[in-house]
Order: sequence, then structure tokens, then C-alpha cells
Amino acid sequence: MAVDTNKESGAESLRKTRTYGKFRCHNPTCMGRLEPKPGDDHVKCPVCTSEFRVAWIKEGFPRIRGPVWEVNKKLAEEAFKKRWGDK
Amino acid sequence: MSLDRKIAYINLTTGDVEVKPIPLDVRRKFLGGRGLDAYLLLNHSEKGCDPLGPDNPLIVSGGILTATCASATARTHVMAKSPLTGLLGSCNMGGFFAPEMAWAGFHHLVIKGKAKKPSYIYIHNGEIQIRDAKNIWGKTTTDAQWAIRDELDDQEVKSLVCGPAGENLVAFANVMTGIKNAGGRTGMGAVMGSKNLKAIACRGTMDINIAHPVEALEYNKRFIDQITSAKVNKTQGTLGTPMIWGATNSWGGVRTRNFQYNQCEYADDIEPEAIDDICEDTMGPYHMSGCFGCQVHCRAQYRIPSGPLKGKYEEGPEYTSQGAFGGETDTPRAETVLVGNHLVDQYGMDNLETGSLISWAMELYEKGIISSKDTDGLDLRFGNDEAVLEMIERICFRKGKVADALANGGIPASKTFGKDSFSYLIQVKGMSNLHSDERATPGLALNIATSSRGSDHLRSRPAIDLYHLPEEVLQKIYGSPIPYDGKLSSEHTEYIGKPWQVFWQENCYMGVDCLGICKYHTTFLGATLPNYEDWPKVLYYNTGLEFTPEELWDISRRCNMIERLFNLREGLTRNDLEKGDMLNHRYFDEPTRRGAIDVVGRVIDKKKFVKMVDEFYEHKGLDKKGNPKTETLKQLGLENEPSHML
Repeated sequence: MAVDTNKESGAESLRKTRTYGKFRCHNPTCMGRLEPKPGDDHVKCPVCTSEFRVAWIKEGFPRIRGPVWEVNKKLAEEAFKKRWGDK
Repeated sequence: MSLDRKIAYINLTTGDVEVKPIPLDVRRKFLGGRGLDAYLLLNHSEKGCDPLGPDNPLIVSGGILTATCASATARTHVMAKSPLTGLLGSCNMGGFFAPEMAWAGFHHLVIKGKAKKPSYIYIHNGEIQIRDAKNIWGKTTTDAQWAIRDELDDQEVKSLVCGPAGENLVAFANVMTGIKNAGGRTGMGAVMGSKNLKAIACRGTMDINIAHPVEALEYNKRFIDQITSAKVNKTQGTLGTPMIWGATNSWGGVRTRNFQYNQCEYADDIEPEAIDDICEDTMGPYHMSGCFGCQVHCRAQYRIPSGPLKGKYEEGPEYTSQGAFGGETDTPRAETVLVGNHLVDQYGMDNLETGSLISWAMELYEKGIISSKDTDGLDLRFGNDEAVLEMIERICFRKGKVADALANGGIPASKTFGKDSFSYLIQVKGMSNLHSDERATPGLALNIATSSRGSDHLRSRPAIDLYHLPEEVLQKIYGSPIPYDGKLSSEHTEYIGKPWQVFWQENCYMGVDCLGICKYHTTFLGATLPNYEDWPKVLYYNTGLEFTPEELWDISRRCNMIERLFNLREGLTRNDLEKGDMLNHRYFDEPTRRGAIDVVGRVIDKKKFVKMVDEFYEHKGLDKKGNPKTETLKQLGLENEPSHML
């Protein structure tokens, strides 16, 4: 029979890789795991210095609400200038 | 048994109805839902048929698992030749319609012809009537549904309707069911309007026998646990889909001011938590609901909090409305998003296409290609909330030169506006891109370029590519059910391995669309959600049909190839900017200006992009021009299409 009822599928087996209480930095080549303390509403990435506002889905379940606009905008402008000059 | 659900051929010109069973060998080749719809479209339409003519078949379906014990089998699929693109028209929506149609005895409807006067189809326990819609025509999508219930004196009737936009043949009119379940993109509502078909109403109480009911329920508990334990679904069940736009905007993956920026700054007012606060204030703490048989509950409910429409009930907004009426037009105000969402739902108009075209027109206005004379004095500048809402209404009712042109879709409108307006239009195959910006994500750029229905995220997007998953995890996902020994990269700014991921996702999404299951229940936004290894169990317990994961993979490939055959027949050519697998030049020429440090300054490398398309074609079994190789068609059993089995 094609159906093996007891076998764990690949997707099911990946459940153990889930992490709780953390999220990844939104900067693509950084993507460091950030772990805000309970109740924190800001977090700064120690690697790339991006800063984010934090929201809590529930206790122990944080998510990035959005960037700290002024900080990340400045970082973006500097990065753009480095890659493209004054275009 | 769901396998005894039938197919009905309805001719609106003659009033003839023919009902046929769906043979098992057809099921084994195409399963049901979108896959079988694609087969029916290819077999029941002629090359070059007028999308708004009587010969364009409108095909409506549920999946093979619809209304069984399986989880989240709510999806209704609608297919026809698209009046927006002239290629494949296809849309998929949640709600409660497809299960009701299955309980009424049917899995597929093929509707041809044109009714002499406004009509609607009523299906009740195996019986089909064509009824007069004179009291319903002209009504908004929800008023039409409630009027049908009153007329039939049955509040349990579920209807699929077109709104005023469909009646007015707006090329991107939706079909709708319930308050906000939208069959959007590609203009299937306009096809309904062209047939004088206002609605399809269903009421059914016919049992669906389950092949192995105890095992089906037992397994479904396991399936549900897999679904509800996923972090992405826990978030969606709290904040709804706005969390997708919020997260994407955070790193710089959304379109703003048409395509000038890739992040909507200071968008705090439309962030998911802000929208959620409005939902809670206006509807109370328990404001999340869901579609038939779904445990995720990603659908928010709200009342418009302020302004002239204050107090109006609505559902959503989905992330697409945040993008369409907040980000793209640079109007990140909650009231604009919530009212815009309400208007397009009531008019039955695609939010993504509407927002995209308005923001495109705003850029043309900014550049002087269209003027206030063309807009009858409307100040169509970015950031003008009133102009966004006014344009929604004008497009639906085709008021004024600019709105009337936009109602025909972007490419026809560019011919009306002239100059270099086309070069600013962010579209693929004639369908505007959703609100996202793919310049920093080559895999996603390949997805929108090659998607069967035009620039779209729901046909092949490797969304989990954004999660920086370790390569061994990517191998585990993308190396099954068919082994893949190529390299995969955790970096979503990379080009390596993306063609395989897009190919895999294209098949995965076709799989769920054939089953009739929501994409939030598969490898779309979550890496730990069910796919090919899990589906044979659900299928077997509910229908008794046995498939291996590899067989389901082949079915998905076959159905995708049928869609490709349809598009090729209707003129798809690889590098055609209007009908091909090609991106607007701005992806290659204009760097991103905002977002995270490593997102800013990105363009798609054209040479690498062309190489990705080559590789993607190779995975699909296409030649360099994008046509299927003879051996591919033979392997998929499609060498004799159209075969007219049904």
C-alpha cells in the first residue's frame, strides 16, 4: 500500500527545528538570531547594527513589528552610497 | 464518496444542461480542482477565442478532497481564458462555496454561451436551474448574495457572484463569495458579466461518504496539529495576513510609489498590530474567523472606524490590500486601506490589479504623461488618499478617460496613454505584479516571470526562501519526493538553486489546488507544513485512492504542463514583454533604494536571470524557447492533447 501510516513525513520531522522566543534579523546576509528579553519593545542586531521594533504575539513569542525607521534609513542610505555613489 | 461528484455542462444560450460522471482514469491523471479545470479549458476552448465572447468556457470547481474530513478543503477554483491577459485565467478563493457545490452533487461546472438576459444558476441536490436575475443585477457582491438567499427563501445558500465591476466588464473583475472571499486576478468576474451570469448559487444536503472515516478523522488530528503548531499559522491566527506585508515591508520587499521605492517608510498606521487594534476596537477580542474546515482563522473582521463609511462591516484586510491601497500609492493610512478594501470587495474588483494600476497612473501623472485634464481635475499624486478611493469607484464604473482605460487592464491602457507609459508598467503577461518588489530576491523574480497566470506569487513563489533556512533543511524539503542533487542556497539574494525551488513550488501549489486545500496548509509560508509525503494519506483515507508521493508529483507536473500548453496556444513566447516569461526592464536597470542594508542597491542581473529561466525550463522539460519537448509530453501522457476525454 502507498500509505505508510506510522512514518513521519519530512515536513513533520522538521518540526523539531522550530525555535521559540527568537527571530532573525531582517537584513538578508546577516539573518542573525535575535532574542529579545520578555517585554522588550526594541532590539538591536549586534552583528549588522540594524534596529527593530518588537511586538509580542503572546508571552515567549516575539516578532519584528518593523524597523526603527530613522536608524535603518540612515544605514540604508550609507549602504546605497557605498554601492552606487551619488546616483 | 467524493469521487461520485459530477461535472455539469451548462449552455446559457440554449439553456441545455448535461451531467456526466468523472471517470477514474481522469481523476488519476488530473485529480480535480485547478488541474482538471486546466484540462477542461484546453479541451473546451478554441485557439484565439474571445475572452468576453460566448465560446469562452467558464469553469468552476472544488478539489478532489472538497467537503471531506480533510482539513481546510474550502477552496473554489475558477478558470477561463483571461480578458486581462488573453492567456490563462485562473483564480482560487476560500469561503464555503465549493463544499456546498459538492454537497449539491458537483465538483466541476463548464459554463458556455451567453444568457439572453441577466441570469443566475441555482444548483440544489443534483438539479440545475437557470433563473432570472433581474432583481439581482446591479447589486454589490454582498447585496446580491443576500438577495438570492431571500429569493430562494434559504439562508444556507452559498453563492459565487460578480459585482458591478464584472457587469461593467472591468478586465480584472473578481468572482466573490461571502464578504471578502475573492477569486481575484485575471478577470473571471468579467467573464461572468460577459455571459450575463450574475451568480451561481448552491444548496446541498447530499452525503459525501468517506472511504475510511475513522482513519480519516484520526489522521486529520495529526494533520491539524502540524498546521496549528506552525509559528506562521499561530501568527496568522492572531494578526491575519497583514503580518506578511508588515514583515516584507520591514526588510524592503514591497513596492512603493509604483516601483520607485521598495519600502513604505513610517507605515506604522497600517502595520498588522495597528490594524488588529482597529479590529478589536470595532468587533471585540474574538474578531478572527476562518473558511470551511480551517483551524488557522486568518480572516479578521472589522468595521470602518471613521469617515463617511464609518461603521460598515468588512472582513480582512488581506496583506494585498495593505500593499495595494497603502504601500504602492504611498498612502499608509488605516482608513484608506480599510475603505479601499471594502470598496473592491463590494464592487468585485481585484485589489492587487486596482492598486497597481492606480499607482502606475500616479507615476505617469508625476512624470506628466497624463495630466489633470485627462483625470477630469483629479489630483492623481502619490499620497493622495482621496484620489485612491475615488479612482477605485471610477474604474469600477468606467468614469472618465483615465479610469476607463485602466479598467481595460495595463497593456491596453498603455496604448491609450502612449509615450513611454508601458515602460513604467510593472507587469508580466499583462497582469500587474502584486505589491512586492523582487529586485533583491532572484528566486522570487523568476517566480513572477514564469508564473502561468502572469506576475503572481501564488503559483510558484519559494516564499520560505526568505527564512534563511540551513542548506540541509532546504535539501530535505526540496529533495523530496524527487531527489535533487544540485546546490541550494540559504541566501535569498543568491541565484543558485532557485530554478529548482521555483519548479518545486510550482508543482506543490498545483498539488494543493487539485486537492482543494488552502496554501497556508502547505509549504508556502511555513517550512514544516504538509506536502507530497503527507497528501497520499489524506487522499487514501478520504477517497480510497492510492497514490505515491511521486505519482502526485507527476500529476502536478502534468497539470502545470496543460496550463503551459494553453498559454503557448494563445501566444506565449519566451521574451515577449506582453505575453512572455520576461520582466520589466526596471528590475534590471533601477536599483532598490530602501530597506535593510543588504537589500538596498540591488538589481536583478539579467545574464543570471536568463540562465535561471533556461534552468527552470530544463527542469520542466521545455526547450530553450519554452516549448515542451516531445519526450516530456510523452512522459506526462499529454502527447495527444486535446484528447476530449471529458
